[in-house]
Amino acid sequence: MPNVGAELASVPFGKMIYDMASAIARSQIALDKASIELVKVLAGTTFDYVPDVVETLLPNPRQVKGANGAPLVDSNGDPVMITGVLVQTDVGDSFPLTLLQAGVNPTFYAFTNSQIEVKMSITSTQESSNTFSVGVSVTASADFLFASGSVSSHVNFTSANKYSYSVTGSSSMSTVLNPVPPPKNMMPRFFLVNAIDPTKVTISQS
Amino acid sequence: MAFQMYMVAFNGDFSQAVSRDVQHHIRKHNGVTLMVMKTGIIGAFDDSMVPFVQAHPSVKLVGGVTLSPNGYAADRLQRIFAENLAKQIQVKPQ
Repeated sequence: MPNVGAELASVPFGKMIYDMASAIARSQIALDKASIELVKVLAGTTFDYVPDVVETLLPNPRQVKGANGAPLVDSNGDPVMITGVLVQTDVGDSFPLTLLQAGVNPTFYAFTNSQIEVKMSITSTQESSNTFSVGVSVTASADFLFASGSVSSHVNFTSANKYSYSVTGSSSMSTVLNPVPPPKNMMPRFFLVNAIDPTKVTISQS
Repeated sequence: MAFQMYMVAFNGDFSQAVSRDVQHHIRKHNGVTLMVMKTGIIGAFDDSMVPFVQAHPSVKLVGGVTLSPNGYAADRLQRIFAENLAKQIQVKPQ
């Protein structure tokens, strides 16, 4: 008879879990290395950052021009003036800013949920059949001097046994990969020192 | 699965030709270019396209990035991304 317990015990659960955990650990290391490499790229990529642009509106009075472009005067002979505006633009000095400082953070990933599913189907069938038949034939004949008779019999016995046993199994493994915030230990800290008031130091981390 | 932002870093020194070629490569894989720098491109594309973008000979690495609102120039970068994105997508009436 099939031993279901033995079949289940033969499934290498321990090895499957170890192989999966090992594969996840290797993948996690590779992903973390790629993200750390990306931190270096982002920290090394700079662009010119213009911190501020000051636009000042200045009065710009001017005389209105009349026909033929001649300066226009009113009935008293005073010039007709409009206020006018002049926009003076003062672009602050640009300085290099890294993408990391600017706010571009690398994405880190983590495996959050892993599943191993093993399905096993054990089928065992047994069929046996026996047939038994008995036949008897009697013949008799009589003549003038003799009489004869015969008896014959037969026995048929058939026995059939069918036995089948099958085990089918399947397994599936799945894992979920989610983006997570950058680990604190892998991201640089930014110290902002205010040179106007050096006692003011701001520390931030992405 | 999802359209995400990626940093596509160049292999070797910067050149206009390489940058343009990588941008075309991203576009070919239904991606968009959000910002171009000397060391690489910040682009957005479906994450299933990462291996194809990575396969370009001038690409060193492709890594997912996010924009932190606490960044020094996050709002300005966001505006730059939006302006560049607007130049590359076509909105069709339904």
